[in-house]
Amino acid sequence: MDEERSFPKSSFFLSNGAFSSNESGEMSLRSGSMRRREGYQLGGCGIAGCLSLDGEPISGEKIATMLTTMSERENGLGAGYACYGLFPERRDEFCLQFFFDDEDVKNSVEEFLKDHGNITKDEKVFTKKSTTLKPPFPLVWRFFFRPVERREWRGNQKLSEEDYVVRLVMHVNQHVDGAFCISSGKDMAVFKGNGYSFEISDFYDIQRYRGKMWISHSRFPTNSPGWWGGAHPISILDWAVCHNGEITSYGVNRKFVEMEGYSCTLLTDTEVVAYLWDILVRKHGLPINLAAFAMAPWYYHDIKHLDPQNQKLATLIRVTYKEAFLNGPFSILVGRREPEITMIALADRKKLRPLIVGQSSDEGMFFAASEECAIRAIEPNAETWTPNAGSPAIAQVRNGIIRDGLESPFWGEWNE
Amino acid sequence: MSDSLNLSQERIAQELPDRYRPVIDYELCKGCKRCVRECSYSALEFRDGKVRPLRGCVACGRCTAICPTGAIEIRLLPYHFPPHSTFTERIRRSIISQANTGGVLLSSCGTDLEYPMIFDELLLDAAQVTNPSIDPLREPIETITFLGRRGGKLTSSEKKGLLEDEDIGPVIMMDMPIMIGHISLGAVSYPAQKALFKAACDLNIIAGSGEGGLHSDFYAYADHINSEVASGRFGVTPDYLKRVAAVEIKIGQGAKPGHGGHLPGEKVTDLISQTRMIPTGTDALSPYPHHDIYSIEDLQQLICALKEATDYRIPVGVKIAAVHNVAAIASGIVRAGADFITIDGFRGGTGSAPRVIRDHAGLPIEVAVAVVDKRLAEEGLRNKITLCAGGSIRSSADMIKILALGADVAMVCTAALVAMGCRVCQQCHRGLCAWGIATQKPELTARLDPEIASARITRLFTAWNEELKEVLGAMGIDAVESLIGNRDRLRYIGPNPKIAEIMGVKHVGEGWG
Repeated sequence: MDEERSFPKSSFFLSNGAFSSNESGEMSLRSGSMRRREGYQLGGCGIAGCLSLDGEPISGEKIATMLTTMSERENGLGAGYACYGLFPERRDEFCLQFFFDDEDVKNSVEEFLKDHGNITKDEKVFTKKSTTLKPPFPLVWRFFFRPVERREWRGNQKLSEEDYVVRLVMHVNQHVDGAFCISSGKDMAVFKGNGYSFEISDFYDIQRYRGKMWISHSRFPTNSPGWWGGAHPISILDWAVCHNGEITSYGVNRKFVEMEGYSCTLLTDTEVVAYLWDILVRKHGLPINLAAFAMAPWYYHDIKHLDPQNQKLATLIRVTYKEAFLNGPFSILVGRREPEITMIALADRKKLRPLIVGQSSDEGMFFAASEECAIRAIEPNAETWTPNAGSPAIAQVRNGIIRDGLESPFWGEWNE
Repeated sequence: MSDSLNLSQERIAQELPDRYRPVIDYELCKGCKRCVRECSYSALEFRDGKVRPLRGCVACGRCTAICPTGAIEIRLLPYHFPPHSTFTERIRRSIISQANTGGVLLSSCGTDLEYPMIFDELLLDAAQVTNPSIDPLREPIETITFLGRRGGKLTSSEKKGLLEDEDIGPVIMMDMPIMIGHISLGAVSYPAQKALFKAACDLNIIAGSGEGGLHSDFYAYADHINSEVASGRFGVTPDYLKRVAAVEIKIGQGAKPGHGGHLPGEKVTDLISQTRMIPTGTDALSPYPHHDIYSIEDLQQLICALKEATDYRIPVGVKIAAVHNVAAIASGIVRAGADFITIDGFRGGTGSAPRVIRDHAGLPIEVAVAVVDKRLAEEGLRNKITLCAGGSIRSSADMIKILALGADVAMVCTAALVAMGCRVCQQCHRGLCAWGIATQKPELTARLDPEIASARITRLFTAWNEELKEVLGAMGIDAVESLIGNRDRLRYIGPNPKIAEIMGVKHVGEGWG
């Protein structure tokens, strides 16, 4: 969807063709090979997430099981996982994870980062050889990074540390050929690529990681290309977004995020969703439920029935943030680390995409997914429910389920 | 001998042939003479027991509409001059006319030259599988639109625990993204303006007062009136400004960029005199520039003065004509503190404009809106202001396309007049409108029933709004704000891709990515 840049910017762009297959062209799907031969596929994207309410780390195997269970919802053109609470020993450093075309690009980005801060550690992200993903694969690399505080960005430019990192990420994604920053948060990372969900979990060996929260996505793209950078989660700072749907207001939302200094380079409408969360919650300081209201607002004819104070607030949000309104069908899982690891599950105001949430019987885990089977696959006795259209379900490590998605939009907002 | 010959030649040269002629079917004509009475241009007479055509028909269509037996047909007369593709009939008529008078040619109702309509070269999008379409008969689709300034950011207040926007200005909520443009009392008749205002109230939208002030009878509609402060300052008093819903400084007008206004003295009746606060029978002249605005700083001061005068309770806007550097100008106006900007494209209508300006100055509203929207976004200003756009919005399709190109509100004038009865005969400047719209003659104004005219406008815009919902639903969008500036929903199919590039619209056949 990006107009400014001629693509492919990177050699791994669209490298995986229409479907994952090995060199002989044989499909090696865990499921779905029959459907492939018959020439049709079911589905839409799949999203799945789990959060440890009691703070106990969760193995990557669980999220992979959740996601791959919904194999009908993907077509092999992208999948990914985001893990939070991943680097407790480096929890105050930004973990910048990149896709690089080659070593040369890596070196140039490394030099760029050194010019703007300190790299405390860097390493190749572990990947396994894959027999089914078609090469070339990007080089996946992570840098632990502390930006150097400079007078001009704290003083003259009034940038926060996070704003500064956003600028660095935007610069690389926009201007450095063969490099894309895929996650840039603290104590979290994104593992994604162009393939089926099970292939991506195998490629990164997801089960080697344990985190307090996982969100994940399997993709069935229809209006933007399937490629490594465009796979979900789409992430900026500690925000990660998995999205099933289509943002029909993309042109409007894009204009809004660009006005705030973000550039859209990942060729997917989901990108604006991640940036919107960053703008509304981190930069503008909206509480999560109000940011969710801005993105999936109530109809004016429903707002009329709110009490006068809430009516005023709802109208104010709609008017002020009309460019942040995400129109079209969507269900999203949003992850954030600050101030505590948090998962947000939100569907559009018409509920045109599926979303179900649940809690384990011992109340230690919170789940969200496109389909109930994903939750049952790892927690057969979970209690599940469907949040209301446009109402966010919010869960936080140690703080429990803050909203179950069934409340009025401004529940608890007024301190009278 | 030579003197009489010369006079005779002069007289011959003055006579420009008619372009239209009423033709009577005497099989059908009952000789009731209604058509003769109704023709305000005196193009028909009753002689020797028959209705007979005279010269001067302008094809206003009044006679055909009024004839009980349908006996009258208006014919476009064949080409009067020997064919020539450079010296067209239009050009030769202009030359002869100016040789006769030595004056500036006047005309009305927007240019009739055949410029390409960019609206007609844009195609809309529609939803398919992954983004399902929405049936407006079964699902809500919102067309509520706000006019005014926004802060672009809500801030929380620790004391109150509330969220507020300190920068938000007064905003007007309208039920559809349409406003009726400025059509002044003077340019149109009392019943015509009453019909416009009443329709605006019934539709919960805004109608422009025009630059002629506001007649006290219309104070009843004031909360749906956007009043105009033009360079003539007609009728502008603090009392009047405090009654209306919004106030707009008119810098320019699409039909005559760089021009002021002129209402000939013969149109300044007692009624107009009272409203405009000028003597009866005097020309009402709005100078080209505001004589207190020669810079953007001056404009800023007037915006501030008007906000002070209205206690910051109503939005203050600025209307400009679409000119070549419109994007930078609009940016300056936002920075000068305007709450909304109206851009008027070069095909816009008017009651009277120098033809050379009307036909050749300015630029199409489609391009103007697209470049303004883009520039304001680049400068981080677009979410502060409401952008209104008009000048040849003829249908709901045009309205939808201008919204997708970046306007929040479509400003409509001529279409509203057509709904009332106007047939766009382009003779408004003569004050003889046979439909009782663009005239002040009591016998003509009496022809227009404001209730009926208002109902017709209401039905027209209701229909447009329903069509807007149909298109939004077809796109899978359920609120009009998600269409504003969403150029992804347009594709260009015209002959000049450069225009599409400037407008930021992809060519047909281009997908998302």
